[in-house]
Amino acid sequence: VKLLPFIPEQASTLATRFEYLFWYITIVCGVAGLAIYAFMLYCCVKYRRGATTGSTPRILGSQRLELTWTIIPTVIFFSFFGWGVAVFNHAAHPPADAMEVFVIGKQWMWKAQYPTGQRVIIGGNPRNMNESERNSIGRLLLPVNRPVRITLTSEDVIHDFGVPAFRSKIDALPGRYTTAWYHPTKTGEFHIYCDQYCGTWHSLMVGKIAVVGEQEFDDWLQGGNSLQGTQNPVDGSLAFEGRQLFLKLQCSNCHTAKPDARAPVLEGLYGTRVPLRGGGGEIVDEAYILQSILEPRAKVVEGWEPIMPSYKDKVTAEELTALVQYIRSLKRGTTPDRTERFPVPDGAPTQPPQPPISPEKK
Amino acid sequence: MSTAIHHAAPVAAPAPPEPMPAEPNYLNNGYGIWSWLLTTDHKRIGILYLVSITAFFMAGGIAAGLVRLNLLSPTGAIMAEDQYNRAFTAHGVLMLFFFLIPSIPAVMGNFFVPMMIGAKDLAFPKLNLASWYVFILGAALATWSVLVGGIDTGWTLYPPYSTRASQASVVPGVVGVFISGFSSIMTGLNILVTIHKMRCPGMTWSRLPLFIWSLYATSLIQLLATPVVAVTLLLIAVERAWGVGIFDPSLGGDPVLFQHMFWFYSHPAVYIMILPGMGAVSEVITCFSRKNVFGYHAIAWSSMGIAVVGFLLWAHHMFVAGISFYAALLFSFLSMLVAVPSAIKVFNWTGTLYKGSITFQAPMLFALGFVVLFIVGGLTGLYLATLGTDIHLHDTYFVVAHFHFVMVGGMVMGYFAALHYWWPKMTGRMYSDWWSRVAASIIIVGFFLTFVPQFIMGYHGMPRRYPNYPGEFHVLNVMSTAGASILGLGYLIPSVYLTLSLFFGEKATANPWSATGLEWQTPSPPTVFNFDFTPVVVCGPYEYAIGVDQMGRGLPEPPGPGGAEGPSGKVGQTGPAGPMHKETHVVG
Repeated sequence: VKLLPFIPEQASTLATRFEYLFWYITIVCGVAGLAIYAFMLYCCVKYRRGATTGSTPRILGSQRLELTWTIIPTVIFFSFFGWGVAVFNHAAHPPADAMEVFVIGKQWMWKAQYPTGQRVIIGGNPRNMNESERNSIGRLLLPVNRPVRITLTSEDVIHDFGVPAFRSKIDALPGRYTTAWYHPTKTGEFHIYCDQYCGTWHSLMVGKIAVVGEQEFDDWLQGGNSLQGTQNPVDGSLAFEGRQLFLKLQCSNCHTAKPDARAPVLEGLYGTRVPLRGGGGEIVDEAYILQSILEPRAKVVEGWEPIMPSYKDKVTAEELTALVQYIRSLKRGTTPDRTERFPVPDGAPTQPPQPPISPEKK
Repeated sequence: MSTAIHHAAPVAAPAPPEPMPAEPNYLNNGYGIWSWLLTTDHKRIGILYLVSITAFFMAGGIAAGLVRLNLLSPTGAIMAEDQYNRAFTAHGVLMLFFFLIPSIPAVMGNFFVPMMIGAKDLAFPKLNLASWYVFILGAALATWSVLVGGIDTGWTLYPPYSTRASQASVVPGVVGVFISGFSSIMTGLNILVTIHKMRCPGMTWSRLPLFIWSLYATSLIQLLATPVVAVTLLLIAVERAWGVGIFDPSLGGDPVLFQHMFWFYSHPAVYIMILPGMGAVSEVITCFSRKNVFGYHAIAWSSMGIAVVGFLLWAHHMFVAGISFYAALLFSFLSMLVAVPSAIKVFNWTGTLYKGSITFQAPMLFALGFVVLFIVGGLTGLYLATLGTDIHLHDTYFVVAHFHFVMVGGMVMGYFAALHYWWPKMTGRMYSDWWSRVAASIIIVGFFLTFVPQFIMGYHGMPRRYPNYPGEFHVLNVMSTAGASILGLGYLIPSVYLTLSLFFGEKATANPWSATGLEWQTPSPPTVFNFDFTPVVVCGPYEYAIGVDQMGRGLPEPPGPGGAEGPSGKVGQTGPAGPMHKETHVVG
């Protein structure tokens, strides 16, 4: 049985400010409410019919008391108001140097896009998506200790982007932009809820925010490790470009997980040690992947024929980086094949490249 | 000696007394269906409303039960998502538009406003009957659409979802609510005019019972705010039916405009719902404390204050809807202002208890329950009016719990207090004292168990209108549903003993609670034209300390220890002889 903590997780500067205000109101109202209850209980016991003669004094009121219990609550309420404005002011005005992330709500998913181009679905109802969308469900990655501004809009109806751990909430409206901002203070994974009722799958329009270290985040922004936990590489990332190239160059014709594969499947290969043809082994790192593309026959994996042509003049240096990042990110069971419902990229050859006849027949 | 024998002439035995014909009253004045359906008697129309809103309360309650049952499991225990969405919409629409809004104003207002101010009827009896037909027409249409077609928009009907995406019978539902709005306007107008023009001699404004003041404030809101929601609902129907761009941005409209227009009515509407409850509670607490109300003018003016300020804070429902920063500041400030009169009322009610002589019959238990629950509901409203806390609590279960504490803990308790207080007057019968106290206690306990877990869930961020929710909220949701089943049982008990009382209940005397209001100066049930004489009011409404009613006559012995056995055991207009005996019987 999962139980809630006494105070919900506080993962942003706003969350801390919220809690101080929340508990100030709670204590003031709690004391006041309990005092009234105590007085009512006292009256109900002390002045119950059985304890009185039945005669009651004719008390009509007291101007002094009326003034007291008008002025004191008013002052207290205004203190709530003032403090609330201070917290709201913090929440409503992002600092100028905040990094920007765009989030779009639609029935029923959240899509995020970074200024560097990565696009990821950060939550939604998988039953309501096509396969490629399902494979792109990841997390909204944010750096810790760095302000982030979220600019929101909606494609259809009103949604609301609520993050309880940050104590933040803002509607996503069709046809206009709204903003929220966070200064995450803690790494971890946090809920995103759609808080504005938006139809059938409203309750599944939920997602995750992952707050990671600044170093990790920068590494990821530059196309490094995949931290978002999607099945396929995130749209707009280097790895995603690499995937497009992988399809375009028809690498998957041979590097497939099917039984008739003519080359080793590349899933989950990065970082492992592979035995080499003719003895020895090699750790699969970026250098080895690079070499295997440019000089495929230099280090062939044990059990496979050296049939792969060199791609030295067919790919540019940038494309090579993308391919390396893609192979690096390739997870088990995610190698695309021709039967997948992915459109062939524009300009892709329709015939597989003929492996050149090897002169030195092994 | 002459003896004269006087033979007494044989005297015929006195004829056995004719069985007294039942006093003519509004209930035995015709039994046919048309004597009810074509009546212009405000009391009969009140009963018509009572029967109809009880049906809607039950239908809305069943929908609430389905919602709570479904939340027993984090993935929905009994319903698919679409069904759940329809169930909570049905609950909201039925409860708000067809139970809470007409509850006290249309039932108790119709029945008791003329009686409490010493009038024969409302100012416009035929308009009053028309209002019931309009209500039934609108309610039938809306009920048909939420139950048969299904509406999945929530009672707030936010576009563009309600005009574009929702695949349900929004238009008939909206038209139904639109039509029933006219009934609300008619009732408000009727009560307003009646209070202005038909008070009996001596019934000055500062002698009006506080229930009348609260209904005056309510009627003002009904009259002024309902047309706005009528316009808004019509615009929704127009956009949905003919694709005219008003709220949908893809047609050139503005969705936030709808929220402004909707809340311009619907925020004051929550005061339509709560103010009459406050009025009823003021009557009950004074009567069962045997005390003059503490701060009559403060309570009366705070009702008016709530009615006026209540119009100025609609956008506090929209703090996270993308309104401007300064607009949010202004509306937060104004929301704080409306909390003040509510606080004043609470302090005055507790002041009334002080040095009273308190008994705890069902009306008093419900009224005390009202105060206890309303304090929680009111104080938690402050969290939502405060900008810094609303940005987290908005649209979570915190709001759900706050709203239910005010509307159910407040208004439904107030309604039940009024129903139990005036039941003997309306029906001429007493209900079971013991069972009614049991029911009141069960309802208060069940209420806390249902809604306190929801505050905690909301604080932890659980959004409203979620049939699926993360596992960490499971325990609290189960607790809330368990509480709701106790609450449901609590609401079933009155339906049994109140129904039974109609047939087996003791006959009630004219003034079973020994209350001061004019409504107790006629027999129970009242005669057709309420009073056989024109009452003349000589003093304020709550002279319990002196022991006189508003006409300056002595009060009968009140029920409770030291008095007569049961609430129905007393007769007489001449004042008690027992321990409650008062020296002074008439004030000028």
